[in-house]
Amino acid sequence: MRRAVAPLLAVTVALVLADSAVVTLALPDILAELDATVGQVAWVLISFNLVLGLCAVPTAIWFDRAQPRIFTAVGIAVFAGASAWCAVAGSIDVLVVARCVQALGGALALVGCLELMVAEWGERRGVAAWVTAGVVGTAVGPVAGGLLTQAISWEAIFVVQVPFAALAVPAALAVRAVPVLPPDRHRPAVRPNLTLALLSAALTAALFLLVLLLVEGWGRSPATAALTVSVVPVAALAARPLARLLRPSPEVEVAVGCFLIAGGLVGLAIPPSAELFWTVAPQALVGLGLGLTIDRLTAQAMELRLPRARHAGWTIGARHVGVVVGLAILTPVFTADLQDAQEPAQEAIASLVLDAPLRAEDKISIARALGDELTQQRGQIPDLHRAFAAANLDPAERPAAAELERDLDAQLEGAATRAFRDSFLIGAGLALVALLTVIAPRRRRAS
Amino acid sequence: MSGRLHALGLPAVALALVSGVLAVQLANGGGTFEPLRTADPCTTRAVTSRSDGIEGLTERLVLRGIDEAACRLHVSREALILELGQSDTRTDAEVEALHRGLSSAVRELEADGSLPPASALVDEALDSADLNGFLKAAIRALPDSVVDAALKTDDVLIRTIDDLDLRAVLADLDSPQDLNAQVEEAVTQAVKDSLSDRVRNLL
Repeated sequence: MRRAVAPLLAVTVALVLADSAVVTLALPDILAELDATVGQVAWVLISFNLVLGLCAVPTAIWFDRAQPRIFTAVGIAVFAGASAWCAVAGSIDVLVVARCVQALGGALALVGCLELMVAEWGERRGVAAWVTAGVVGTAVGPVAGGLLTQAISWEAIFVVQVPFAALAVPAALAVRAVPVLPPDRHRPAVRPNLTLALLSAALTAALFLLVLLLVEGWGRSPATAALTVSVVPVAALAARPLARLLRPSPEVEVAVGCFLIAGGLVGLAIPPSAELFWTVAPQALVGLGLGLTIDRLTAQAMELRLPRARHAGWTIGARHVGVVVGLAILTPVFTADLQDAQEPAQEAIASLVLDAPLRAEDKISIARALGDELTQQRGQIPDLHRAFAAANLDPAERPAAAELERDLDAQLEGAATRAFRDSFLIGAGLALVALLTVIAPRRRRAS
Repeated sequence: MSGRLHALGLPAVALALVSGVLAVQLANGGGTFEPLRTADPCTTRAVTSRSDGIEGLTERLVLRGIDEAACRLHVSREALILELGQSDTRTDAEVEALHRGLSSAVRELEADGSLPPASALVDEALDSADLNGFLKAAIRALPDSVVDAALKTDDVLIRTIDDLDLRAVLADLDSPQDLNAQVEEAVTQAVKDSLSDRVRNLL
């Protein structure tokens, strides 16, 4: 049991940070099952990040006056209980409230686990493991959520967290001696936390928008989307060996990471087609950038700063407020662009149907079925296959109709891709602003 | 030297990776993957049809007519089609533009020699016409030259377009039976008018 204590705490850290984006691929299912609106369902994501971002620092201040083991165990227990509550939530309002409670427990658990992991593994290894668990959780969250949603259901995302977190509660209580916390000696590290916030906003574009594009825009299943976005965590793992090989300074490493994330997001903005293949290389750039920046910046923000928990609180706050800011900036942009994309997409569809090598009566039949489908699915990307299946076509015309269906799907994919372009480019812009915060000259201290 | 390599190594690798990825995306059409842009309706485009006879002719006329109407209204033909198909009310300007567009489409097809002679359409027209069987047989027995001399396709079509209540036709787009009845009535009336005009001119 003793050996499992610190790993269980590390898993808890990964779970809490994975929750930041774990529901991304499940949002369409949640929307349908809980009869919610798009605006309401977005709050399942926003509420968790907002509460975690806003509560991290007050929680860390409170931690100074608490019993570390009790504080951490309570935090993990609240997180576990709220995860179970999320799984049984019968309405969108209950789910959002449960997510807020889950984030509150998560904030307590994150801050507490850091001190307990340092107590178990020592300063250097404990902090490094806490940071790495956070990076792994952040990167793997959407993948795990997508696979669980596809394989079982969206509720499974929350159910699987409960046993891990439940095991971590006795693990937290089993930590033997937690060193007395040192007094407040350092100010928060503004620059790395600001860079973290900007990068988190940019990464929201990569992780949140990309899965939306894959599932809603290109019509792929959540499992396919999850496997596709797994490129990001895999590439993030490759970042450390690359950095060890070339041995750059920490500032260069972070600056290059920002540049790679910006480049990857520009690549995602300009795929040549809706083939998943075209997202792999840009995602690899984003993953490399993620691997070079997040742990390095977190370490910079906390390095030699005491009390450790409070500075950890600042980094958690910066990251999750960054995610919320990213969502706040990007959501209205891509929803407006999706709205604007409807007209050119409909015109492109009308153009292809008019010029299709089909008999006039078949064109009319297809046009009528497409019209019904567009009317039924107003506000969402329509399922053209249903329209073709519903159209009363001459069997001899089926091959030409199938080709028309493929061409029309390509038009919808093109329209969706075009609609996401601005948001990916804004994400790239946020990463470049983060780069500026790294390379901007520092103020010289008066000697 | 080694220090400089360490300072520049990672940025150089990153620059090469980002440039390479973006260059490959752009070289394969990245940035241009978006919906088809609609063509200028004022530029003549070739119209074809997989259908034969009256259906094929009607399709070519409608496609050309919609282009002409859209050009007059300064919108794309696709925007006009969607507007006519989705809106419950049609403006006077739309109906007028459609009328003029269809009429000028007939004249264009006549000018480029792609309007079939009336004799080529008679059999098909009689099949669906509500006429006495003896009368149908008598008309079918007429030599093509007599039919073509008596009826000019462009004249019948222009009269049909003039006779059609386009607003009612557009309102019945979802009801093929009502639509066919309206068109049939207009064509029959147009043939009668064309024939009586021809007889009047002979006298």
